[in-house]
This record gives sequence, C-alpha cells and structure tokens, in this order.
Amino acid sequence: MEAAHRSSFLREWILTVDHKKIGILYGITSLVFLFLGGLAALVIRTELFRPGQDVVTPDTFNQLFTMHGTIMIFGFVIPMLTGAFANYLVPIMIGARDMAFPRMNALSYWLFLLGGLVLLSSFFIGQMPDVGWTAYPPYSIESKGLGLDLWVTSVHILGLSSILGAINVIVTIFNLRAPGMTFSRLPLFVWSSLATAFIQLFGVPALGGAVTTLLLDKHAGTIFYNVAAGGDPMLYQHLFWFYSHPAVYVMILPAMGIVSEIIPVFARKPIFGYKAVAYSSLTIALLAFFVWAHHMFVAGMQLSAGIPFMVTSMIIAVPSAIKVFNWLATLYRGQIDFKTPMLFATLGFVGLFTIGGLSGLYLANVPVDLHLHDTYFVVAHFHYVLFGGSLMAILAGLYFWFPKAFGRMYNETLGKWTFALFFIGVNLTFFPMHFAGMLNMPRRYFDYSYDPSLAWLNQISTIGAYITGVAAVLLAANLVVSAVRGAKASANPWGALTLEWQTSSPPPHENFEEIPVVTSGPYEYGEPETPRKRFKYGQTVGGETISG
Amino acid sequence: MEGSLFLPDALSETAKEIDGLFYILTGIAVVIFLLVWMLLLIFLVRYRRKHPTKEGLRLYGNTRLEIIWTVIPALILVVLGIYSAQMVYALQKPPADAYEIQVTASKWKWEFTYPDGPNGGFTTLNDLRLPAGKPILFRITSKDVIHSFWVPELRIKMDAVPGRETRVWVKPLKEEGKFKVLCAEYCGTAHANMVSDALVMKEEHFGKWVASGGKEDPSGQPLDGKQLAQQFGCLACHAIDGRELAGPSWKGIYGTERELADGSKVKVDDEYLKESIVNPNAKVVKGYGPAMPAYPQLSDAQLQALVDYIKSLK
Repeated sequence: MEAAHRSSFLREWILTVDHKKIGILYGITSLVFLFLGGLAALVIRTELFRPGQDVVTPDTFNQLFTMHGTIMIFGFVIPMLTGAFANYLVPIMIGARDMAFPRMNALSYWLFLLGGLVLLSSFFIGQMPDVGWTAYPPYSIESKGLGLDLWVTSVHILGLSSILGAINVIVTIFNLRAPGMTFSRLPLFVWSSLATAFIQLFGVPALGGAVTTLLLDKHAGTIFYNVAAGGDPMLYQHLFWFYSHPAVYVMILPAMGIVSEIIPVFARKPIFGYKAVAYSSLTIALLAFFVWAHHMFVAGMQLSAGIPFMVTSMIIAVPSAIKVFNWLATLYRGQIDFKTPMLFATLGFVGLFTIGGLSGLYLANVPVDLHLHDTYFVVAHFHYVLFGGSLMAILAGLYFWFPKAFGRMYNETLGKWTFALFFIGVNLTFFPMHFAGMLNMPRRYFDYSYDPSLAWLNQISTIGAYITGVAAVLLAANLVVSAVRGAKASANPWGALTLEWQTSSPPPHENFEEIPVVTSGPYEYGEPETPRKRFKYGQTVGGETISG
Repeated sequence: MEGSLFLPDALSETAKEIDGLFYILTGIAVVIFLLVWMLLLIFLVRYRRKHPTKEGLRLYGNTRLEIIWTVIPALILVVLGIYSAQMVYALQKPPADAYEIQVTASKWKWEFTYPDGPNGGFTTLNDLRLPAGKPILFRITSKDVIHSFWVPELRIKMDAVPGRETRVWVKPLKEEGKFKVLCAEYCGTAHANMVSDALVMKEEHFGKWVASGGKEDPSGQPLDGKQLAQQFGCLACHAIDGRELAGPSWKGIYGTERELADGSKVKVDDEYLKESIVNPNAKVVKGYGPAMPAYPQLSDAQLQALVDYIKSLK
C-alpha cells in the first residue's frame, strides 16, 4: 500500500484522503484563522483603550468585530473541534482505519478552506461585512457593497462543509468500531463528537435558510424582512438562533470531550461517572435546540414568552454542572501530574468554564437580562465559555496529542509559561467586562465618551488582550519549532490507554498494523484500594490479644 | 456617574426588584464558584503526583453522590425559575394609569413624543423627561433598522423594531436624577453615539415643561450649545477637531466661504447655519450627500445657542 506510489507534497497533502492528514490540515488552517481573528480583536481592544476615536474609523471598527466573531466561530473554533480533533481522533480512537467516506472527508476540508478564503477576500477588496456575526436584518440587508454577499456565501460553503463532516462522523462511529468497541467502551471524546455531529446535521440547514433569505431580500426583492410589505425582522432572529445557539454547544461539547480524555490520564484515575458524562453530552445536544429564544428576551416578544426559554436554559445548566463535578471527582485521590495539557484542562477549562457557566445563569434570567442583554456582560460571558472553555480545551488537546501527530515532544517549560500567560491574559481581558456591562456599556460600541469613567475597566481588558497575544505567539513558536526539532516522542509518552496511543507516533497510514480487539473500557487507570486492617479490642491477632 | 462597581444607581421600583434578583443570583454564583475553585485547588495540591509511577485510586463513580449533585442544582434552579417567572408577569403588566411616552428610534437618534402639551402632543429629540413617582409606559418603535432602548439606571431594555410596537413600563422613584438612554442593538456607523439625555423631574416641573411644549427648561438654566450639540446627536456626523465624518467638521468653519454641490458659493454665517439645521438639504456643501435629517422642532433660543457654539470653535 505505502511503498507502491512515489510520495510527493501534492500526493501527500493536497490529494490526501487520510483522516489524520486532513485533521492536521484542518488544524493548521484553523490556527491561521485564530491569529487573524486575534489580530482583529487586538485592534478592537486598542481602539477601546480610552474613550473617543483613536485608531480606526467607526465603520472599520464595525467591520473588525464582524470579522472577529465570524472568523473565530466559523473559521476557528468549529473547524478546529469538529474538523481537526474529530477527524484525527474519532477513527483512531474507535480502532478504525479511516473515516467511512474518506473522499467526502477531503471535500469537507477543501470546502472549509474555500469558505474561509471567500470570507477573507472581503478584506482584500476592501469591502468587509459590517453586519455583526449575527447579521440581523433590516440593517444587514441595507448594507452597501459586497460585504454581506461574501459573508453569506462563506457561511453557506462552511455550512456545507459542516454537514458533510457531521455525516462522516456519525456513520464512522456507528459502522467502523473495532471488535469489542461497544458504546459503553467509547472514549468520551467520541461520545461528545457524536452528539456534536447530530447538532450540526440538524442545525446547519436552519442557518442556511436564514442567511439565504437575507440574500433574497437584498437582491431578489423578496419581502421576508421588508416591514412595509408585511415582513418581520424577528423571523430571522428565530431562524438564526435556532442554529446558532446549538452551535454554541458545537463549540463546547467536543471541548468537554477533550478534557474528559486528558484528566484521567494525568490523574491516573478512571473518569468519575463515565455514563453520566457520556449521557450529559447527549442531553445537552438535545436540549440545545430548545433554548434559542433566550437571545431574544427583549427583541419584541412578549416578556412572558421568554419564560419557557428561561426554564430550558436553566435546565441545560444541570448537565453542564454534572460534568464539572465529575471532573472534580476524577481528581479526588488521584496522582496528578502537572503537564501542560493538564494545566489547560483543569485550571484552564474546568476553572474558567465554571465562571462562564455562572454568568450564563444571569443572562438566562428574563428580568436580569432586561438590564444585561447586549452589554459587555454578555461579551464577558461568552468569552469565558469560548476562550476560558473551548480554547483552553483546544490548547490542552493540541499539547496532549501533538506528540502523537508529529512524533516529537513539545517544549514543556515553554508550554507552562504559555499556560500562565494565557490564564492571566484571559482573566484580565474578560473579567472587567462583566462590570462594564453591568454599569452601562453596550457591546459593539467603538466609543464610550458618554461615560469616560469606563476607561479603567477597558484599559485592564486591553492590557490583558496584549498578554494573550504574547501567549499566542509563544504557542505558535512552540508548536512550529517542536514539530521540526523536538525530541523524539514514544508511541505512548503519557501512558494513556485509549487506542490512538497503542500505535506508533505518528501512526502509520491506516492507523494500525492489525485492527485491535477491545476487551476493556478506555479509562482503566489506578489501583483498587487496599482495605486498611481493622482490629477490634479483644480480638486475637497472631496469638496476641489486643487490649485498650 | 455615581454608583457602585456593580450596578448603576437604581432609580425605579423595577430596578430595585431586578437588583434584588441580581444579588440572589450573585450569592448562588459566588457559593458555587468558591466550591468549585476550592475543590479544584485543594485536589490539585493535595493529590499532586509524588512518584512518577504511582497510580491513583480506581474509583468509577458513586451513584448516590451523582444523584445528589444532579438534584440539588436542579432544585435551586426550579425555585429560581418560579420566583423569576412571577416577576416577569409583574414587569409585563403596566398599571392602568401609566403615562404613555412614544419612543421612536432611528439612525442615530431618539425621539420622544408626549401625549399632551400646547398642540395636543409634541416631540423632543434626544431629550427624555420623566415625572418622578408616576408609572410610565414606553411605546417603542423604529423608523429604520432595529435599535434597543436601554436606560441602565431604570434597568429596562426593549428593542425598537420597525413595523412593530414594543412596550416596557417603569416607575421612576420620587427623586430627581439625570442619566442617559443608550442604544443597545447594533445599528451601524454611529451606534455608539446614539445617546440621549434623560431626566427625572419633580412632577410640577414636568407639568410646566410639558405645557411649554418642551421648549422651556423650568429649572431656568441658560442654554449650552455644546450640550445641545451632544443632545441632538450633531457630533455623530460633525467633528469639532477637524476630522471629516459624514458631515463637514465644525472647527473653524464660521466665517469661511464654502462651495456647494451646485457650484455656487456661500458664506458661513448665522443665517446659513440656522437654515442648515432647520432645512439641511437647501444648501449642501460640495462633497457631501444630502444625508442630514431636518430639525424643525428647535426653538430660536436653541438654534442661537448652537450657532454660538459653532462660532466658538476656532
């Protein structure tokens, strides 16, 4: 198989249908988007360092936060988790040779790249969309230039990529598991990827429909959102959030899966409550479709129409809380090794995702949301979940599986420093935003001259953003240099039990010499407790009577 | 802006109720936050690895514990949900005697229409006055895109949606206070400048103000052109430091000669400036579109104050 054809860069990477290479392509592309989105964020934070207008015009500012949001969500977090991690790990974790549809898998990646380039092209022609990542009509329809058109086209292509990827993951998990790999032995990352794939499959079409109506209204004279002709702008918000709230769980479920893989390995303990963690992924995926209107409490619905959505949003907090308690219990009486991935997974993910979850409790509450909706409190909330949650888990995963994918070790000391800077940077950036929002700062404002006393909170945030930027540079340096010059990694440097570690690093084409036969669960770490000897008074032990 | 680090002043009954709920949530959040972080730190320190080969305890779970930590959060949330839902119904139902103010949002200004006054109703621009201690019902709509009517000190927010009337009611407390109305829904270029003044007045002052059609300030303050320019949103399009925004900069403009779109020339004097405010499209300066809305509702005193302010910008 391997030796037969001559290998070239074109054959090796461009024409590849190997899930591992496609996963790596997804990962590299997503990281490029992370840096582009991050640069946009730094310009935004620089503008907000003090009141007034400093570095960009209001219109440019609006384009930047639109690009920042769109790139980070559709260009980084979703493709990184469902493209890079799921592609690389799902087949190898279940003992398969590849995805069920390898060529469709390659198509998913190239569509992702195309969709990303369509979005970026708006920058090069100087017509970036300025509609916000939510693109609410009628504002978005009235926008001039090609910005919205490129944005919609890009979202469409990326959506198609997501749907194909989701089909691949679902079929692979159901049909290609190795002998003995029952559902109750599936690694938790695979469970979470399965739940995520179902969300993508059912949700993305709603988004496709929503953004299509924008184009039709703008160019074909339809009246979905034309108020004068009886259209209703709120229809779009329902359609948009019907996908885009589940999308939030697309961005967190695989992250939870990654954390569930990493904690047992470095704590040398089985995951606590395997079934609860697995089923809470499915519960979250199902409930995700019933909370969308919590984004619309003040959008013009009757206030009391928000009550059912308040209830479902609070219910969805329960499985999330369960997972946090399960991870904490997994640490209890472990033997914890503080390698970089473990720092990102525990102090990073568990600690900061908790903060994001708690601020969500405020926003899910209709009366409190009357005050907080569309303020910087919301920005703080979803960045704690997406940066303190998703990104921390992604970073944990990058360091954890790096030796597997590249056969070389990253630099541990630099990794720990990177963690420290990320941790400090994220908290400095986003914690003050809670207070700015609680006081009087709406999101998407390029200027807060109406209340200059907001400056000190914004200055802390901006300094934090720059620290985060430094951390990102260290991350890139570590990964790039280590991929070329790192120390050789063994097949299983962490002593992990899941199947990807039972083959060479990097794994051969088609993953395994022989398909493994699975005989036990994925987290059989640790040793049974040796019962302490207990003696009662008056008992005879070894010929001697114990007395008080 | 007075107020704690946490929330701005609470100037309405609604605000006090919502704050109560906010602090209950904060109590719950702080307890859970401390619980998770303390366990996290204690476990990480207490169970750090002492020997590279040592294994942890083989413990798969504990059904009783898992039921407990599922049920307790669920119960807390049920109680919270019931309590909050009752408040939602109260917030939704305005009292029958509420004073109705029509709020009309457009790019990028707020207009407030009062139901009484000299000619059976009048409209102000970026100037919201509320009578202290009376329940007020805001009926909100938009002329163009979606905006959102937010008054932080009253803790109310409601989107202004074109083609639809949304409602929110509030009862300002019996004390005077000055604050701002902000737009909370992204609406384009000057979203961040869509700020209106808001003032809670003693009821008799409010009555006098309404009787004058909103043109006289019963507190007898002299008119301040700079404040008016902010209030009417002029500065969203006209810079005062020479930068060219959507409209010409005001800096040093007074007394100069400008070329108009039709090629003729005009001298910038009091008369021209007043005409440009009341009827902006009469003489548009070359290089600018006829984008400025008309401001016919200004009193002569307000016009003169604005012109004097422009004069002062050298």
